[in-house]
Amino acid sequence: MLEIKPIFNALLRSKVSTFLLLVEIAITVAIVSVAAFVIVDRVNYLQQETGYPEESLLHFSVLTFGDVDRMQQIELDEQMLRNIPDVENAVFMQDVPLSGSGSASSFNSQPDPEIENNKSVRAAYTAGDENMIDTLGVNLIAGRDFNPDEIKYGLSMENPPTVIIASKAFVDEMFPEGDGLGQTVYFGPAPIKIIGIVEEMKGPWLQDSRADNMVIFPYVEVRSFDHYVVRTNPEERTAIKRQIEELMLANYDKRVINPAIGFDEAKAQYNAGDILMARMLMVIIVVLIMITIVGIFGLTLFNISKRTKQIGTRRALGARKSDIVKYFLVENAMVCIVGLVVGSAGAVYLGTLLLQEYSLPALDNAFILYTAGFVFLISLMSVLVPANRAANISPSIATRSI
Amino acid sequence: MLSMKNISKVYQTEKVRTHALRDFDLQVNEGEFIAVTGPSGSGKTTFLNIAGMLEGYSSGEYLLDDVNVGQLSDNQRADLRNQKIGFIFQGFNLIPDLNLYENVEVPLRYRGIKSAERKRRIEECLEKVGLGSRAKHLPQQLSGGQQQRVAIARALAGQPRFLLADEPTGNLDSLMARQVMELLEEINRDGATIVMVTHDPELARRAPRNIQVVDGQLADFTLYQSREKDILTPNPQLNPSSNPAEA
Ligand SMILES: Nc1ncnc2c1ncn2[C@@H]1O[C@H](COP(=O)(O)OP(=O)(O)OP(=O)(O)O)[C@@H](O)[C@H]1O
Ligand SMILES: [Mg+2]
Repeated sequence: MLEIKPIFNALLRSKVSTFLLLVEIAITVAIVSVAAFVIVDRVNYLQQETGYPEESLLHFSVLTFGDVDRMQQIELDEQMLRNIPDVENAVFMQDVPLSGSGSASSFNSQPDPEIENNKSVRAAYTAGDENMIDTLGVNLIAGRDFNPDEIKYGLSMENPPTVIIASKAFVDEMFPEGDGLGQTVYFGPAPIKIIGIVEEMKGPWLQDSRADNMVIFPYVEVRSFDHYVVRTNPEERTAIKRQIEELMLANYDKRVINPAIGFDEAKAQYNAGDILMARMLMVIIVVLIMITIVGIFGLTLFNISKRTKQIGTRRALGARKSDIVKYFLVENAMVCIVGLVVGSAGAVYLGTLLLQEYSLPALDNAFILYTAGFVFLISLMSVLVPANRAANISPSIATRSI
Repeated sequence: MLSMKNISKVYQTEKVRTHALRDFDLQVNEGEFIAVTGPSGSGKTTFLNIAGMLEGYSSGEYLLDDVNVGQLSDNQRADLRNQKIGFIFQGFNLIPDLNLYENVEVPLRYRGIKSAERKRRIEECLEKVGLGSRAKHLPQQLSGGQQQRVAIARALAGQPRFLLADEPTGNLDSLMARQVMELLEEINRDGATIVMVTHDPELARRAPRNIQVVDGQLADFTLYQSREKDILTPNPQLNPSSNPAEA
């Protein structure tokens, strides 16, 4: 027996508690669905493939003083690093992916960007010798790696690099037809041929809108800081990290070796804000859900204690225990559904607000739907315990209490 | 229709055991109108609650229409209450959130009666208690006597054969009490069996059969009166020596 109409009428006559419950459910749905969406968005972002075996890679930077042939020192250092047991490969690089610092530039389809139908695509870039692809552990899916004779030692206008290896994302953006391998792009006025394509190779900034566009040049150039990337057996990475400073100083001691850091650790540092935000949103969700459960639980208990005599009377008039449970479930469901509708509208509004103000991606309506379903279930479950207690009120209450 | 044999009821609280009923024996026949009197705390309400299956008993045997109530499940008792018994309470027990129409509707909904039939019965019953025009009012907008009439309409709507009333006039002034009594008498004439607990000797005397509960037991005398004789019975207050039983 469903008593929707009288329950509805009775609800309208006890406005305050009904309204409170409705508002609570609406707020929970609105905030939880948006928060869940943001969390999932962030988790997807944090868990995205970078193209690198992050747990096997580490990098460190070096500031060199004194009178030394830096170019030669780089060769010696690379040799030394490769000779450490459990090190697979090591390379000197201009900038390190995922590190949060690097260079980016526009690459053009025409020698002069002013030329009509020039296509310009932005990409981060770095440079190093023929060990880069192997050391980074990225997957070369087309073309070939650099030959040792293509590496330029020292950059000059007379002798610019003529080839690059690029990420598939960059090549496909530049050449949507999919025929980018072997094509020429322009870095400034210099023509450069794409000789290799890497499946996935993130740039230094994961939050960049072109995080997947990455280009590597075959040259070695000394700057104030030298960066080295080392690929190790992942189990031995921590141990190797500890030896690096000593070994590097043993090679040449007039320099400062900054502590080595894993690729995954550098990524976590770069994303610290996002990780913190996701955790805080998680806490907010848990707290809101708890408040809803406790609120519904308490409100139902309160309603029951207020209606003890009414419940006894209903039992006297022929209500089965299950009718009493049903009464509270239906009552709660009705308030809940209105709350869910209001809350869903609130979530949509909140979503557009975040989209405008914080340039978050558009809220996926599935999140509202799932949250609403979840809150509905939670709310029915929070009613069940007090409702069962109500069902056990003795019908003799009807004559015993005044 | 109702048969109680050796019914006992013991309330056990932390400190005390109360024998609310002991070896209680009673037969009630179809169509009777019984007034139950007795001192406060003597067990009248306990008897009525057991008769109405609102609570169980500790020992003895209770048959309602030859069905042994002690062997029924909770759901079966709820269904029997709904079908056979109408309750009228001292405190009216109307549901404050529901208007008069919805209040009378409650037992009909539990019976699963269709909406059109419910409407017909509710209107008929409200009409019968003289409140047909106030179906949309809430209980608190009514006087006590009116509320009790709504409660009677609610008890009648299910067309029960057995009406149990615990001090139905206890919260009413004498004029309203008389109106309620007249209503009950009319219902009894229409065929319902009525057991009414009352503290009002005047009302008790109007009932054809009086029983008295003292200390959890039926007192050793039971009054039988016919309606015709009742009219002839001298008022005991005017003539203290007379006993209605001898009239
Ligand atoms: N739930 C209970 N727990 C313990 N004792 C109870 C309970 N209900 C009733 N009693 C006791 O049982 C005895 C009979 O109570 P009952 O309510 O039947 O009396 P009554 O005749 O209806 O009295 P009154 O005229 O005051 O309504 C009393 O002593 C009462 O205190
Ligand atoms: Mg009593």
